[in-house]
Amino acid sequence: MSDGSNMEKTAEQWAAFQKIWTDTFAKMMQLGFTSPDAAPPEFLRQIRGGIFQALSQSWDEFMRSPQFLESMKQWMENAIAFRKMSNDFLTKARHETQAPAREDIDATMQAMHHMETRVLDRMEELAKQVEGLTARVDNMSGTKPRPTKRASARPRAAKNRKQGKTRKQP
Amino acid sequence: MKNGNGTTNPWGKWQQSMLDEGFANARRFSRLPLLYQKAQRIRKGATPSEVVYEEDRLKLLHYPTDQPPRYATPLVFVFALVNRPYILDLKPGRSVVEHFVKRGFDTYLVDWGAPTRADRHLTFDDHINGYLANVVDFLRERTAAPKVNILGYCMGGTMSAMFTALHQERVKNLMLLAAGIDFATRDGLLNLWTGPECFNVDKFVDTFGNCPAEFLQASFLLLKPVQNLVEKPINFFERLDDDEYLDDFLTMETWLNDNIPVPGEIFREFVKYLYQQNLLVQNKMPVGKHTVDLRKITCPILNIMARNDDLVPCAQSAPFNDLVSSTDRKSIIIPAGHIGLAIGGKAQKEVWPQACDWLAERS
Repeated sequence: MSDGSNMEKTAEQWAAFQKIWTDTFAKMMQLGFTSPDAAPPEFLRQIRGGIFQALSQSWDEFMRSPQFLESMKQWMENAIAFRKMSNDFLTKARHETQAPAREDIDATMQAMHHMETRVLDRMEELAKQVEGLTARVDNMSGTKPRPTKRASARPRAAKNRKQGKTRKQP
Repeated sequence: MKNGNGTTNPWGKWQQSMLDEGFANARRFSRLPLLYQKAQRIRKGATPSEVVYEEDRLKLLHYPTDQPPRYATPLVFVFALVNRPYILDLKPGRSVVEHFVKRGFDTYLVDWGAPTRADRHLTFDDHINGYLANVVDFLRERTAAPKVNILGYCMGGTMSAMFTALHQERVKNLMLLAAGIDFATRDGLLNLWTGPECFNVDKFVDTFGNCPAEFLQASFLLLKPVQNLVEKPINFFERLDDDEYLDDFLTMETWLNDNIPVPGEIFREFVKYLYQQNLLVQNKMPVGKHTVDLRKITCPILNIMARNDDLVPCAQSAPFNDLVSSTDRKSIIIPAGHIGLAIGGKAQKEVWPQACDWLAERS
């Protein structure tokens, strides 16, 4: 992009930004000319309320503007780049001292998570097969079908379950 | 104030009111040192509860009563992952939980807990088909009821809708409270800010891991900067001598500042699949190896929305009732904000008694 078009874009953004705030101050000035019927603190509160309302509207408008969205995007990209740089530096420093870095632990956790998913999926399949076999056995023996528990839920809860532990009684 | 002729003296009136304001300010300043003590006394959760089930960081709270439950079907509250769930049980007189407990419902609340870095890979699948499915199964076993009633708030509402679509046979009635369903609207600032042209969620999650609590807090504050950063502190100072207001303010601020991070992968899925691709309304939302089809929801639906909600605008929740196959559908819209929907005076007086009646008729 040429310098000329860059300047033009900046001027457009500045003009849009200026318009929002000029409108706001115009609204605020209008409020200042309201007749003071009430006592001073109440009158000042009314003016203040009006000013805040005008400011809120302007901010909302501003935060929806392409200019704000563009600057927010830039800010986010810079924050991410900075964080990435510091992550990389710390990872390198840890690796140089032959210590595990956070990304190694993350990778291990991810591997465990994938393994858990595979095991649970397989268990679900086995549970369905057992359910089918049980139904067939029940049919053959002519007994009532036995109710099955948690046919499709992930069964890992059972190992961690604790019941009736009182936590708080305010 | 009148002078000797019986006419009003404007100067006298002005002087008197300025003097009154001066004294009032002095009174307010004198209360400042007591604020810390008051803030320390704020309780998290008003209704007595006990933990009946735990899994990893999740805790299921039960609200026991002296009387046996009046309705056989248990009710479980599912809150969002972005804040603590005690907003639903903030303080006596401002508690959604209290309404249902008093009406005789066997009430439970899912507290997802605060995720650590180890939880960054947890997805919607883990939360919906894992934790939530296990909680519901646990309740079915515990209460011997074949189904449960679910009330989901905000992101918890979105997750409850997905759960119901995937496991309709386990849900008797579904109540949604400010739940995001159709993310096509651009009414809300969050919808704009999370657009793919503004926010690269993949880069964000890959770099930060979990979505930091401070990031969420700052985003929510920015939704209404003048109200949150200017008006609120001024109002607070002006009403420092009002004990009831002070108690409400400190309770609310305690909750607002008690943020928790969101597991990275679920944040990625939420932003990418919902805010950016709007897959839920297209019945294409992937949850693990399943796809959510809202048309599979056949149970009675109560959809509660707030007209002035800046976080989840009405336009984001309202389409839900037309996307499900249920014939028993009802919507309630009140003039409140996102939080006011749960704890606001109007909600407490009008909405929650109505919601209790609705559920009582169907439990």
